[in-house]
Amino acid sequence: MAAVSVEHLSKRYGEIDAVKDVTFVVEQGEVFALLGPNGAGKTTTIEILEGFRSRDRGRVDVLGYDPADRSTSRQLRERLGVVLQELAVEPFLSVRQALTRNAGYYPRPRPVDEVLELVGLDTKANARVKALSGGQQRRLDLGLGIIGNPELLVLDEPTTGFDPTARRGAWDLVRAMTGGGTTVILTTHYMDDAEALADRVAVISAGRIIAQGPPGSLGGRDVGEATIWFRLPPGTGVGDLPVPATVSGNGALEIRTDHEIEVLARLTSWALRDKVDLIGLTVERSTLEDVYLRLTGAEAQAAAVTEGLER
Amino acid sequence: MSATRAATGESAGARFKAFRGADDLRLVGRQVYYEQLGFWLNPIGAVFTVVFSVVFLLLLLSSTAGSSRIPYLAHVRVVVYYVPSFAAYGIMSACFNMLTISLVVRREMGLLKRTRLSPLPTWVMLAAIFVNSLIISLLQVVILFLIGKFGYHVALPHNFVPLVVALVVGVCCFTALGIAVSTLIPNQEAAGPVVSIVFFILLFLSGLYYPIKSGSGLAQFAAFFPVRHMITSTVAPFLASAGVPVSPWSWNDILVMAIWAVAGIVVSLRRWTWAPRRSDPYRRAGSFFAKRGGRVATPDATR
Repeated sequence: MAAVSVEHLSKRYGEIDAVKDVTFVVEQGEVFALLGPNGAGKTTTIEILEGFRSRDRGRVDVLGYDPADRSTSRQLRERLGVVLQELAVEPFLSVRQALTRNAGYYPRPRPVDEVLELVGLDTKANARVKALSGGQQRRLDLGLGIIGNPELLVLDEPTTGFDPTARRGAWDLVRAMTGGGTTVILTTHYMDDAEALADRVAVISAGRIIAQGPPGSLGGRDVGEATIWFRLPPGTGVGDLPVPATVSGNGALEIRTDHEIEVLARLTSWALRDKVDLIGLTVERSTLEDVYLRLTGAEAQAAAVTEGLER
Repeated sequence: MSATRAATGESAGARFKAFRGADDLRLVGRQVYYEQLGFWLNPIGAVFTVVFSVVFLLLLLSSTAGSSRIPYLAHVRVVVYYVPSFAAYGIMSACFNMLTISLVVRREMGLLKRTRLSPLPTWVMLAAIFVNSLIISLLQVVILFLIGKFGYHVALPHNFVPLVVALVVGVCCFTALGIAVSTLIPNQEAAGPVVSIVFFILLFLSGLYYPIKSGSGLAQFAAFFPVRHMITSTVAPFLASAGVPVSPWSWNDILVMAIWAVAGIVVSLRRWTWAPRRSDPYRRAGSFFAKRGGRVATPDATR
């Protein structure tokens, strides 16, 4: 069963299409990432899912509720956990007090001690919130998001401002949550977040979804062009190779091809026969970031062209 | 509160279904506990609101002014005026000053938004905030009355009803205005200075520190604002008990405060937002009565 389904969702602010004709489905237990540049419509989309903003058009179903229906908003919110982009924690309460207070809002909360441990604040339980470091406050924020034992956890840029260690911690937390069957929707502009966590990714740009799929195959990443890199030992040149290659800026040789298996076979059998070392041989698919930049870049260019024509 | 309910556009039936009786009342109690905790754990807030009214009263009374009498109020001792006027101050500072600043800070920190996204019903949040202000107000009133009675032999009113009516209307008026003014202040840096300056100027003009002769130009000017009415309606029952020929009932004051309360509710309903102002890119800045609730042009992060 789908935890979230969105069909032809649109939202306008005056003349701006913040979200236009967005359609996606998030299955139960899945981690779904909305990837896109700032102002692309990620936050507007999830705020509509949370029932925080109304929509202009389209159908939205979150855990069986319409988030715009005020008569069921409390039931929906009892099953929903939200971590906002900006830190939102009371400064004067202790960590435990803040968690205990919010636990009381939910019918079946997680035990406070369990949450303290999950977010790594068990040693800071009695510290005042204002005495915590920025990263610790952010972890408390995550803790407040999961205290209600949500079926759906919505994370708006959960790792922004995290150092690499804290980011790994946040990833572990999300994995721990999905291990328990929680569905997760997150927005991010970090590719490694999406790559590490998401079962599926939707790239959103200027309010539209421009690509959708598992991070490994997004934008034809798994089938498209690959790049082969290597260096040749002194005395061997490009001209000796059985396949054409170009010399890249750092002196390494580069072959771009759609048929990497065939090219590699020819290259390696030549190397074996002539006993030539292919130093640092690497095969690279385009990274998620390449795909993302290509997709959002193309979209931005198209938008610029249309704008130019309209003027 | 009822006003804010209407703003969310829920039908009465849906409301009723969402109300969970005793469980929700317990939730209010619990929320009040955490409001109180937050208040007392913030030393600056606690000192400025509660201690200030008491210390200020004692300072004034220990100066030479403390022993003087008010010639145009039947030569009543000045302390008979100060005790209730500082009680009025305590209520205004808890319901207006403190509430306004705390709402702006909560909104800009994203705490209101987070509350909105939690299952805590809006009415429970507002009820808890209101009860919290009420507790802090009451505490100050009781302390000041006890100091007056036992320290300075001030006669408490023979009949408490006019006083209670004035205080209840005053609490509602200044709470409504506190919420309204919080919606007019764009950021938390501005909240403290703006509120304090407006509040203290009005206190001064309205006769907190010394009664203003009614009918004077200053009194006529101050009569436009609710602060003077709060002070005079709280003072009147004390003056009546001290033998000054005035009615303990101040219907005119109560009416003016009620009008201000309605104005406060109207502004609150039109301007209330849950999201921080600074981080809402689609919010149209400027217009005082930004139109709310439309499905088209306005972000309803507000609702």
